[in-house]
Parts: sequence; C-alpha cells; structure tokens
Amino acid sequence: MDFGKKIVLQMWFNMSWRNVKLIFLREVLDQLRDRRTLFMVAVLPLLLYPLMGIGMFQMTAIFSEQPRTVVILGAENLPDLALVQGDKFSRTWFRISTEVDKLRVYSDAPIPSDTPHDETAVATRSKLLASAEQMRDLISRRVQIETDLEKAREEKRSVQEVLRLESALQSLNEPLGKAFHDSDIQVLIVVPPDFRQNLERLRTELAQRGSAASSEVKFDYPRPVVVQNSADEKSVIAHNRVVEVINSWERALLRNYLRDSGLPEHLPTPVNPTAIDLAAADQVSANVWSKLFPSLLVIMALTGAFYPAVDLGAGEKERGTMETLLICPATRTEIVLGKFLTVMLFSASTALLNLSSLGFTGKYMASLASNGGVSSKFGDLALPPVTSLMWVIVMLIPLASLFSALCLAFATFARSSKEGQYYLTPLLMVTMGLTVFCSSPAIDIEPFYSVIPVMGPALLLKGLLKSTGPATDLYLYAIPVLLTSIGYSLMALWWAIDQFGREEVLFREAERFDIRMWFKHLLRDKEPTPSFAEAGFCFLMIILLQFLSMKSMQGAMQGAMQGVAADDRGLLQIRLLLIQQIALIATPALMMGVMLTTSLRKTFALRWPGFSRLGCALLLPFALHPLTIELAVSLQWFFPKPPPGLAEALKLMSSDSQPLWLVIMAFAAAPAICEEIAFRGFILSGFSRSGKVGLAVALSSLAFGIIHMIPQQVFNAALLGVVLGMMCVRSRSLIPGIAFHFVYNTLAILHGRMGDRVLDDGIWAWLFRHQDGMLRYQPALLCLAALAAIGLLHRLTRHPEFVPGSEPAPKPAGEPGVLLGNNRTAVRVT
Amino acid sequence: MITVERLTKRFADIQTGGFTALDGVTFDVQPGEIFGLLGPNGAGKTTCLRILSTVLRPTAGTAFVAGYDVATHPSEVRARIGFMSNNTGIYDRMTAWEMVEYFGRLYGIPEEALQDRIAHLFDRLQMNNIRDVLGSKMSTGMKQKVSIARTIVHDPPVLIFDEPTSGLDVLVARNVVDEIRSLREQGKCIIYSTHIMREVEKLCHRIAIIYRGQILAIGSIEELSDRYKQPDMEELFFQLIDEHEAELRATVSC
Repeated sequence: MDFGKKIVLQMWFNMSWRNVKLIFLREVLDQLRDRRTLFMVAVLPLLLYPLMGIGMFQMTAIFSEQPRTVVILGAENLPDLALVQGDKFSRTWFRISTEVDKLRVYSDAPIPSDTPHDETAVATRSKLLASAEQMRDLISRRVQIETDLEKAREEKRSVQEVLRLESALQSLNEPLGKAFHDSDIQVLIVVPPDFRQNLERLRTELAQRGSAASSEVKFDYPRPVVVQNSADEKSVIAHNRVVEVINSWERALLRNYLRDSGLPEHLPTPVNPTAIDLAAADQVSANVWSKLFPSLLVIMALTGAFYPAVDLGAGEKERGTMETLLICPATRTEIVLGKFLTVMLFSASTALLNLSSLGFTGKYMASLASNGGVSSKFGDLALPPVTSLMWVIVMLIPLASLFSALCLAFATFARSSKEGQYYLTPLLMVTMGLTVFCSSPAIDIEPFYSVIPVMGPALLLKGLLKSTGPATDLYLYAIPVLLTSIGYSLMALWWAIDQFGREEVLFREAERFDIRMWFKHLLRDKEPTPSFAEAGFCFLMIILLQFLSMKSMQGAMQGAMQGVAADDRGLLQIRLLLIQQIALIATPALMMGVMLTTSLRKTFALRWPGFSRLGCALLLPFALHPLTIELAVSLQWFFPKPPPGLAEALKLMSSDSQPLWLVIMAFAAAPAICEEIAFRGFILSGFSRSGKVGLAVALSSLAFGIIHMIPQQVFNAALLGVVLGMMCVRSRSLIPGIAFHFVYNTLAILHGRMGDRVLDDGIWAWLFRHQDGMLRYQPALLCLAALAAIGLLHRLTRHPEFVPGSEPAPKPAGEPGVLLGNNRTAVRVT
Repeated sequence: MITVERLTKRFADIQTGGFTALDGVTFDVQPGEIFGLLGPNGAGKTTCLRILSTVLRPTAGTAFVAGYDVATHPSEVRARIGFMSNNTGIYDRMTAWEMVEYFGRLYGIPEEALQDRIAHLFDRLQMNNIRDVLGSKMSTGMKQKVSIARTIVHDPPVLIFDEPTSGLDVLVARNVVDEIRSLREQGKCIIYSTHIMREVEKLCHRIAIIYRGQILAIGSIEELSDRYKQPDMEELFFQLIDEHEAELRATVSC
C-alpha cells in the first residue's frame, strides 16, 4: 500500500462513522417530525400533480364551453351546398366533428319559422348584425382600395398615387379596427351580392368547357371577405377554424363542379402523398418523459435539498442548538457528514416522489383523454422502462449530493433561516437557466457538456430517456458525467466542511448593516493585501465590465467600420482590444488596489525576482508552447466549435498585413501587463488570504480562464493560469509572470503568422510538420520541450531561498494569526 | 485540571475594525473547586469559556483542560468536559429522554450503562414527569434541567458553566445553583461565569474579575477583600472597574 492511500484510509478510519450515523439518524427523525419538511417532501408532490391534472381538465372544460362568434353578412348569396346549418357551421366541414360547437354563427339569412322564439337570442343576433352592418361599408371600401393599390403597383404608377392609396388604407384601418373590437365578433364574413350567381356561372362555363375554350371561364368576380384580428387570441382561434371549414367546403364545391363537367374528382390532388409515422407508442412517451424528467429531477433535487439544509444549518444556529452540538465529541467533519447525508436523503426522496407522482398522473391523464374519445398526442403515455428508471436513480445521486453540499454550505453561512431563504433564489435561477438550456431540443450531450455540473447529468438523462433501445454511445458518457459530478459534490462538501470549521461563520452575530459604516470600514481598516471577498469582487467587476462593454465595443466596431477597408478594420479592432485590456482589466484592479490596500508593493507583488528566475520565466514559454499546441489539438474533439464570426475576427486581426509590432502590442504586451496586474496581482493576493495557496492559485486561474469566454480558450488559459499563479506565489513577484505571459503570447502570434510560410524542407522540417492545415512540432522536439518544461517549472516553483533581511517566509496555512490577519487591532488596544 | 496561560482572542469587526475580546488571561482551576469568572456583559467571559470548550480557537496563548491542549486535541478535551450556557439550546423536536440519550451516545457511553445513567439522572433531577415531553413544549425550568442532564450525562471531570442562571426565575436559578454545588462535592473541577455577585459569594472558592478582556484581580473572596480592603464584593467590583477606566484614560491622554 502506498503512502497516499494510507493517509486517506487513516482519515477514513479516524472518522467515527458511528457519530456520523448517530447525527444522521437524529437529523432524519428531527426532519420527519417537522410538519413543514414533511409537507414539502412528501405531501406536496403527491397532491400537486393530481391537483394540477384536475385543474387542467377543468380548464379545458371551461374553454370548450365558450363558443366564438362568427357573423355572416349576405348569407343568402351563398351557393346551395350548405355551409351553415342553423346557428352553426355544417358538421360535415369539420375534421374533428366535436369542434362544431366551438363556433356560433349569426347570419342575416331569415330564421326558419319553426325555430323556438328566444328573446335574448334574438336581441343578441340583431345587435351583432347591426354592428356588422356598420362595418360592411368600411370593409367594401377597404377591399376596393386594396385592389386599386395592387393594380397601381403592378402598373408601376406614380409614387404619389401609391402613397395616396396607402394613406387612404391606413385611415380606414383605424375606424374598422375599433368597430370590430367593440362588436364582440370574432370573425366576420361578408359575402358579395352576386356570389351565388357568379359561382353558378362558373359551374356552367366549366361544364360547357368541352365546346368553349377554357380561357373563356371568368374568375375575376368579387370574392367573400373574412375579417379577423390577429392580435386577439380568441379571434385567431376562431379564424383558424373558419378557414378550415371554408377550405373543406370549397373542396367539396370544387368536387361537385368537376363531377358536373365530367372530370375526375381527384383532379386537384394528383400528389397526395401517403404519410407514414414510424414513432412507436413507446417512443412518443419516451420523448415526453425525456423532456419532463431531467428538468424536474434537477429542480426538485435542489428544492428538496434546500429547505432541510436551511433548517439543519441556519435553523440550528437560530434555535441555539448549534453550540450544544459543537461541544459534543463529534468532530465538525462528522457533524457535516451526518447533516449532509440527511439533506441528501431528503433531496433524493423529494425528487423521486415528484417524478413518480408526475409519471403516474401523466399516465392516468393520458388514459383518461384517450378513453374520452379525444385522440391524444401522447398515446397511452407508457411509463419509461425499468432501465431508464435505474438511470434516473443513478443520475439523481450526484445531483442530490451536489445540491445537498451546496445548500448546506450556504445554510451554514447564513445567520438565520430567513437569510438562508434568500440564497435559494440565486441558486434556483442558475439551476433553472441550466435546465432550460438542457431541455432545448437542439442540445444533446457532448464531451464538453458532460463535464459541466448539473448539465452533464441532465443531458445524459435526457438522451437515455429518449432512446428506447440500448444506447451504447450514451453509456460511455456516464463515466465522465459521474466522475465529474462526484468531483463537484466533493468540492462542495469540502466547502461545507470548511464553512463549519470557521468560527466567524458559526458565530456570526446579527449585526446592523450600514452601507456607510461598511464603506468606512473598507477604507479605514485597510490591510497590506486585499481580502478574499475583495478579490472575488474585483473578478466580478472585470467580468461585468467585459459584459457591458460587449455591446458598445460591437457598436463602436460596426460604426467605425462603415466604409473602412478590410486592413484598417483589423487595425481598428486591435486598437479597441488595447483599450479594453487597459480600461476593463488593469484599471479596476489597480483602482481597487489603491483604494482598498495599504501596500501596492505587496498586493501587486512588485519585487525584483532575481535574474535566474526571470531567465527561467523567459525560457519556459518556448518549452510550454509546443506542448499546449499539441494539447489543444488533441482536445479539439472535446470542445464545442467556436462561433464562425469569432474565427473571422481573429484572422483579420492576425492577418499578415497588420504591422507585427502592433499585433504584439495588442496580443502580447497589453495582456501580459494588464491581465497579470489583475489576476496574479490583485486577485491572487486576495485569494491567498484564505491561507491556502493551492486554493488561491486554483481560483485565480479559474477566474483567468473564465474571462476568455470560449470554452477551449478558457481551458488553455486556466492551465496557464496555474503555471503563472505558482510562479507568482513562489517568486513573490509579478515580473516572471509578465515575462512569461509576454513571450508565450508572442510565440502564439508568430505561430499563427508563420503557419503557411514555413517550408517543409531543410532545417524547418527538423522542427515542424504540417498536419490538418496546422503547423505542428516534430515529436522529438516535443519530447525535448517536455523535459525542458519540467526542469524550468521545477526551478521556478521551488521555494525561495531565505535571504536575511528580506520579507519573512509566508506563515504556514491554518495558523490563527493568518486566518484573521488583523494585526492593527493590537496597536489600537494597547 | 484547567490551566490557562496568556490567552488572547481577537475578532474582526466591521464597526470598529477589530476587537480584542480576551487579552492575555492567565488562571488555573483545581478539581473540587469552583472558579468564578466575574464580569459585566462583553467582558470576555463567554469567549474565554468557548475557547476552553474548543468551539473557538485562541489567537495566542495556551489552554490545557484535563491535560489536553484545546488547540491541538479538541476532541479529547470535548470528551472530558461538560459545557452549559444560555446559548446551548435543546432540540425542539426531541423529547427530554431522547435528547440526553443522543448526547450520551455521542459521548460513546455503552448502551446499557447509558440507560442506567439517564434513569439515575432523571431521578436525581426529578425529570421523570417530562421524560416524553418535546423540547418545544417545555418551560424554561424544564429545559434547564434537560441541559444539566445533557451536560453531566458522561460524568465529565471538568464542568464549564457560562451564566447558567441568566434569564431564569429565582426558583429555577436556585435549583441550578444547588445542582452545581452538589457537583463540586463530587470533586469536579468547575468554572463558572456570571455577573451576579450573590451567586459568586455562595458558590465560588476563587474568583477572577474580568473586564475588557483582562483579569483585574484574582484570588479567593477573603484574599480579595483583604487585599483591596473592601468586604463587599459588589463594591470591590465597581472599584476595580473604575480604577481600570481611569488608568485607560490616563494612557490615552498621554
């Protein structure tokens, strides 16, 4: 057994699982005795979905009972084939015959004498007809103008004439729209006076076509007008139905005409393809579940974790039992683990109960709908097969553990349950955003997505639920998804444990927050280097500024580009990039440094690193650059493709026509100085205050990666960030980092520019090869580079030699003095 | 049993920039003795006792409890102390018996011995009538009894009481004081903080008067009244604080 394993095992056995179990059992019992939790976890899901189902049924019932009003003027001019029967359209013209009741027709045709007399119905009818009559004139004028306008445009008449007609049309629209809105009519049909005769003439002309030329058949007779208001949902729905009715009625008319003229009835539909739907019933339902289950699982795992976590963390503080628990022999890790397992149990059960309740309700509703004679889109909505359900549980474990640990950390941080509740909204928003993204039909699991928290499990589950057969390609994704999810959960758990170990978190007193006091405190109690929170804030500032400047940069670019030659465009972009680096990255960090710290020298590590370190930092990029290129190429499959516009812009900026010095200024010198000042200067020294150097370097590299936006660049930048961070921490100087950054970026620029120029023969062939349209290094060179990189990195990151009279070596992490780091107080009190 | 040397604790504070709650405090407590920490609110009593119970870490100085350093062996220390304060609440959704049982189990007492021990404690503290009452349904007095039972369920050699009577009515407070006295008779090493003079006079062998994180005077009640020529503890207390304030003003002005 090797040493590392031993340590892990020792930790494992040193922890009293008995205590964890005791705490877990107590917390579970405590939660089960809490009515609110029980309601949230068990009762709500069991009631919610059936109730929602009932609600939906009732809503549909209410909606179906409301027929829409259709008014027909000139009904007596309709042909004999009956469009209307009584106060409804004829049942024959509906595809779904029950829809006939959804439209109520009022026409100006005389009412048959045998209809029972109903006072209110008669009043409604005469009122509707009266308002329709008022519109008739406006409508016919509008139709006339529209025909004129069309003619004017066709004949290319003068612009004035067209404009005059257009304005006439506009002036008609307003009174017509108002009249229609006030009339309570959803669709108005106006049949022109001679419509019946015109159709009759058409029919006879068609029938006699054998003797006369077809050109003699005249089609330019006035047509009926159908008026609707597409801004009104009711009108739109009624209109769609009316159109459907008229279409099928029209087809029937056409069939009659064809028959009368001795032509086959199927003449108008020579193509009429046969439709085949391969979706099996189980696929249809699989599709439904794959849309619903992953999002619901994620959201419910979060909500299920949140409320118990707040009760176990902040609630425990609030009720004063936290201290009671802290003085028992159980260690903080054991306490957190016991609580974590409890929260996870509730998170998982909430999610599972919700899913099963939704599943059974959905299935029941679908069967109700199909029994009721309504053809359901979902068939009988069979529940997913057992293997899919197993996957749901497998994916639930990492999700529940991640959310439980996160919520517990937040809840521990909160002073009170009320404060705890506030943290739910941001957490929920972020999670919702991710699930909305995942539920989009265009998004399927990809290597890159599989390592993103929440998204990986959600997308994998979506894919697994959708596929009805075995999905071997998806099973492969389970490995990275599960591994990374467990990794994220462990990180979150470690954070929760860390929160529990902090006395300033456990004993946060409810103090009055006063923004003025706080500002005073910031400016008065300055320390040599920024605090952890200040560093985090600086990063957020930079991100926010980048985001805000996106729009104005875009605008500036587009505005400036009007009528600028392509070469100058590149120049312009370079200038903007320079401004962005200086204004949005270096300036915030420098300003915060000046305002919030007492020692710029310490904050920005302004210290001469020594020639040997500087030399190493200048050499290291030559060794690392070939390696990072190989890494980037070998990981290309992993990252989503960058947007095409971006590649274009990059090409423009690095094009050979730009002066090399300018490109180096913008892409190497400016980032080397500005980004180092921000990320290795302010942010790293702030994060270092946590006392954990590794964490500080990791966080600052992550921040450094994130501002690079594109996933592949984020990854590369984060990796280089680690190297830069270690360099800065170990040399306690920003200068090696700036040197490294500058040389590295210059190499990248040269590599991009030289791509096509390097010849495939002579000395070049020893160093480079062309592959996949890219300049790559020869394997031998790569091996050398790797060796050199290891050597240089070792030299650069070893601990600094202790020189008497220089700054003292950093104190070991975890020492109380470092944690609180407030040495000024001693002066104040004595 | 308890040895405290130059114990210092500083907190970061938004309003004042930093706050020294405990400033080089030194004392020791022997078995069979009740040591009183006497001081007004905010004097640093709670901070000191929280450090002794390993809930807070000292900024500087050392503290040994039952032979273990609180900074390096917190678990060993916690297993050997009983700690009670008005901050150590009891669980609302647990009965008296469950609560004491739970902590007994966390202290690792074997199950059979634990049940006997709890039964004994419930008899002694006359708690059998609230055995199955939930914490949320208990009166303050009942809660305090449960807290005492929880504090001594593992029969610890060291007991720490941080203002155990504050907020209690006289009857309950008297019960608590009686209980602590009987614990002393069992030979426990007890540290007791309060701002109530009468309790100090009734209970403590030795006292330390603590103010603004510093011990102004330490010794038995007789020693102190001899040293400062002041038989009345309350008068002595105010006298010391006034002197200290005057001293502070003098240092600030010069």
